[in-house]
Amino acid sequence: MAGWEVPIGAAIAFVGGAIATGIAQSKIGAAGAGAVAERPESAGTIIVLEAIPETLVILGFVVAAMIIIMVE
Amino acid sequence: MKQILVVGPKKDYQRIINVLYQAGSIHLEDAKEDTGEIVAISPLDTFNSEEISSLLIRIRGQLQILTPSDIKKRQKIPVLDKYEELTHEELVVAASNLCDSLESRLRILENRKEELDIRYTTLLRYEKIIRKISPLEQQLPTLEGFEVTILIIQKEFESVLDIIHPFLSDITKNQFEFISADLDEKNIAVITVFSKKYASKVHDFLYSKNVNEVRIPQEYTNMPLDEALALIQKDKDAINIETSQIEEKIRDISTEWYKDLSTFNVLLTDFLEGTLAYSQFGQTDYTFIVKGWIPQKSLPATRKILSENFGMSVVVHELPDDPDLLDNAPVFFDNPFWAKPFEFFMNLVAPPMYREIDPTPLFAIFFPLFFGFIVGDIGYGFVIFCFSLTVRHKFREVPWVFQLMSILMISSISAMIFGYIYGEIFGDFGEHMGWLSPFTIFGISWNRIESIIPLLTLAIGIGVFHVFLGLSLGILNSYRRHNTRHIIEKAGMIGLISGILLLFGSYTGHVPGSVTFAVIILVFISIAGLLYGGGSRGVIEVMGTIGNIMSYARLMAIGLASVILAFVANRLSQELGILILGIIVAILLHTLNVCLAMFSPSIHSLRLHVVEFFSKFYEGGGTPYKPFGKEPL
Repeated sequence: MAGWEVPIGAAIAFVGGAIATGIAQSKIGAAGAGAVAERPESAGTIIVLEAIPETLVILGFVVAAMIIIMVE
Repeated sequence: MKQILVVGPKKDYQRIINVLYQAGSIHLEDAKEDTGEIVAISPLDTFNSEEISSLLIRIRGQLQILTPSDIKKRQKIPVLDKYEELTHEELVVAASNLCDSLESRLRILENRKEELDIRYTTLLRYEKIIRKISPLEQQLPTLEGFEVTILIIQKEFESVLDIIHPFLSDITKNQFEFISADLDEKNIAVITVFSKKYASKVHDFLYSKNVNEVRIPQEYTNMPLDEALALIQKDKDAINIETSQIEEKIRDISTEWYKDLSTFNVLLTDFLEGTLAYSQFGQTDYTFIVKGWIPQKSLPATRKILSENFGMSVVVHELPDDPDLLDNAPVFFDNPFWAKPFEFFMNLVAPPMYREIDPTPLFAIFFPLFFGFIVGDIGYGFVIFCFSLTVRHKFREVPWVFQLMSILMISSISAMIFGYIYGEIFGDFGEHMGWLSPFTIFGISWNRIESIIPLLTLAIGIGVFHVFLGLSLGILNSYRRHNTRHIIEKAGMIGLISGILLLFGSYTGHVPGSVTFAVIILVFISIAGLLYGGGSRGVIEVMGTIGNIMSYARLMAIGLASVILAFVANRLSQELGILILGIIVAILLHTLNVCLAMFSPSIHSLRLHVVEFFSKFYEGGGTPYKPFGKEPL
């Protein structure tokens, strides 16, 4: 029977991804805002770029889910 | 797309160009040849392109002034019939004459309007300051023979007052008043009153200390502050009246001349663009030659229009299809009506090469599917459908809004279908009311909160399918280019990923153990294929592809976040106990969720296509098809 370590482990996996995504997005967002100010036609590309780091938090979520499933 | 040569007698070249320009179907290519047999040709009319460019700048400047916000749309439509018959010289003369006649009038009106604007802004500033200091009026001495100066100082530099005070005291022999009051959040206004005989010394001192000094003009001094305020108000009213009169005059000019100016703008722009194309045309001793690309379906119409105008003397010759040349052919999207709106997304990436697959129809299939999978709520889908329908109708003249809303509308239908499968109307509200319940397929409930793992597996399964589809399209693209290495690399990738999945299935007991040996052979063959096709980079790429597949987990994860927020909205409104308050809270939270549901799933579906899917087959870099002809008005 899994104890409190499992949800904590899953939470750490998720939080790590979330923080990393936040850091990456803040930098892309700042640079992207500058780029859009100069070249408004690049807005579409910048939006896609901004979404790219979200893979990290999604992978964090997958790892968290795997931790919970595998321990169960 | 066909590559053609249009060959005709040189004497008719100006007419041929005009007819081709009207037809507007040929994407021009350079007809000149290095051999020197076909050389450049110049326009028949002599004209000064710089003169026309500067005239266009003047016309556009005047159009900008003559566009009051309340101009009726019909006034913007140019009157082409009136000027279409004019030669370019007559057109330039007519446009110059109109510009000259309007310029002086407009300049006077504009300059006066600008002066009034500046004066009005200044008066607003004085008014603000005087209103601030009026409560201090009784503290001021009689103003006769005294000068009032107002200093504006940022609050963070307030300490500078302690420095100024002794100096002013020294200059004015202590005959001054010094009163401060907050002007706004950042500034304080300091009123200094001193005898006029010290005025120059005080101003020199303040100037030397770089203090921001506001001098109330003479006409507002030597009177009580409320009278000064009344006078400022009177002046402001006078400015408003004069500004309205100027705007009325500009509107009159606009009504009379806007259409004509707009027509000149269109015709001269067309003329200038047409003449710029001359560098692409070629000539021999007796013939005039145009080379270019034309869509297959436009070829008969272009042949017909040339034959009607020139009979047999102008020939359209189709050049043989050369696979290498086809790579340089321009491209344009020619999709069925249901895929048309999704061409919007293709503008975010470089257009495909001519022989490459146009992924727009795949976008049209998978984008709504992913959007629906994420949003999956009948209520949200219905709200998004109504919203997109309304905005689409309201902004039907703005192409990008129209396209975007069409995409959202199609996607919202998918969201409603998935909502029916998940059994969701505004989260669990529908289920709670007993209207519907989640589907159960293969004994697994599609309730998103309960079936996290099955849905996660399904999302990754969709990822496997989508990525494999991308790799298969990559094989097709490589086949068209006869690139064997790429074909083997992509096939190797499909084989290796399949092998890894089968081995994982075998480990978890979902795949019979008897196939393990065959799978291991498949894995080795695939690795060999990857090494042959892409070298060591090809093998490393496997990790990237697995990451791409895992990335599809977002389909489930973002949807889960949305459904939990909807669940919270319903539960919170229940817990509040007061019906009205509960309804308000539920509406607010669901509105927030619908806004998020419109934005986030779109971005992520788009990203899955552009990053995960396109990277498997799409190269892009094609030249957009730009026919030589008039831009549609």
